[in-house]
Amino acid sequence: MSNFLGSEPFYAGIAPLLVAVAIAAMLARTRYAWLAVAAAYATMILLSTGYAVTPLTVARKIALLGLATPLVGVAVDALPLRSRTVAPILAVGAGLVSLWVFSTVLSQREEASRLVAGAGVAVFVTLLALLVLQQRQDGLRSGAAGLGMGLAVGVAGFLSASIGALFSGVAIAAGCGGVLLVQVLLARPLAAGFSGALPIGLLCALIAAGTLLLAQLPWHALPLLLLVPAATLLPAPGRGHPIVRATVLAAYALVAASAPILAAWHATRGSVS
Amino acid sequence: MPKRLAALVLVAFPLAAAAAPESYTLDPYHTYPNFTIEHLGVSTMYGRFNKTSGKFSLDRTARSGALDLTVETASIDTGDNDRGSRARSRDEHLRAADFFNAAEFPRITYKSTKVIFTGDNPSQVEGSLTLLGVTKPLQLTVERFKCNPAQGAVKERCGGNATGRIKRSDFGMKAGIPSIGDDIALIISFEGLKD
Repeated sequence: MSNFLGSEPFYAGIAPLLVAVAIAAMLARTRYAWLAVAAAYATMILLSTGYAVTPLTVARKIALLGLATPLVGVAVDALPLRSRTVAPILAVGAGLVSLWVFSTVLSQREEASRLVAGAGVAVFVTLLALLVLQQRQDGLRSGAAGLGMGLAVGVAGFLSASIGALFSGVAIAAGCGGVLLVQVLLARPLAAGFSGALPIGLLCALIAAGTLLLAQLPWHALPLLLLVPAATLLPAPGRGHPIVRATVLAAYALVAASAPILAAWHATRGSVS
Repeated sequence: MPKRLAALVLVAFPLAAAAAPESYTLDPYHTYPNFTIEHLGVSTMYGRFNKTSGKFSLDRTARSGALDLTVETASIDTGDNDRGSRARSRDEHLRAADFFNAAEFPRITYKSTKVIFTGDNPSQVEGSLTLLGVTKPLQLTVERFKCNPAQGAVKERCGGNATGRIKRSDFGMKAGIPSIGDDIALIISFEGLKD
């Protein structure tokens, strides 16, 4: 039993799923049920590497943002803001934060490479965050997008020589899957809000970009990852039990998730370092 | 009196020169940090870094010295750099963020703080290893240190083997533990040419 509790499937997938279901169920009557996703990710970090701040590596910055971003989301959710510009502003902020996250890696590159990589990553993070934030009022769309992006980031990361990306992606997918499950069981959608959507978008984007810069994810997997939250914007049945709508949206997300996974798989075929 | 002083200087100068610290530049073709690590508790895997630079100095009179070593992280070589039908080779994975994180930490460094002599030769080096941005003390034991004197145009060459042990988890490299061992044995083969 202790072997199982210390195993990678437990701390990357099962424990985050159980934590997400428990927290989402407990907070289901509040607007903060989606904090369950951040809790799922934090559980994986605690059980695998643990939290540390020195040296402040890319992986540690992402882990810390996994704690800080939900708090930003809670604060924004609590403010009486109704402006349509809040989501774009937060998305641009996420893009700028990515420059800080990857500054230690980018600063070691030649100027041209640094500019291209930095701008590309910032634009990618901004777009992914924006696409997820646009779905924040629809808990089933947010959950399906997070499930698909988490799996895409995790499996593509694994194919690209990053076990850390695999664990992170699976933990986020488990978290989003857990909140989807609670919504289906309660037969009631739970809006993700900024506190749920912002961490999902930012974490998935940063993990994918990190796998590009620190492992071997091909660059074209990043734009393909944008297809996942774009797919969950497609029309879905609006009536009936949420399980129908959740299943359709999850199917959209999983089909779209196959694109970045196939890109990572294709990049590994036949080439020799 | 001035003649006597000049004679004294002429006699003393070679002695002073002989007592000065002697500096050596590491020969990159004969300096390799090697390591071993347990795999699945079954076998011992061997690896090395192919690109290393640095200097060492010795003052046999003062029985002191110094060692500075810089290792190019991406030069890791465990004999598995061909993916074949797999998604990645072992060396590719070792360069990625799960292990040596070469893109973020392109260099591993070792800087001595004290060199201990046994007889005329260095036998122990105390210093600090910086790996993945974490600096920890590391003591190296120097074995069979030897110098070959200069011959004609060939410079004096000194070298030996230095051994030590680290726990990779101390440096934040935790991937794969315990399947892939935490303890790493270091065997640094080094040779330096006198400057």
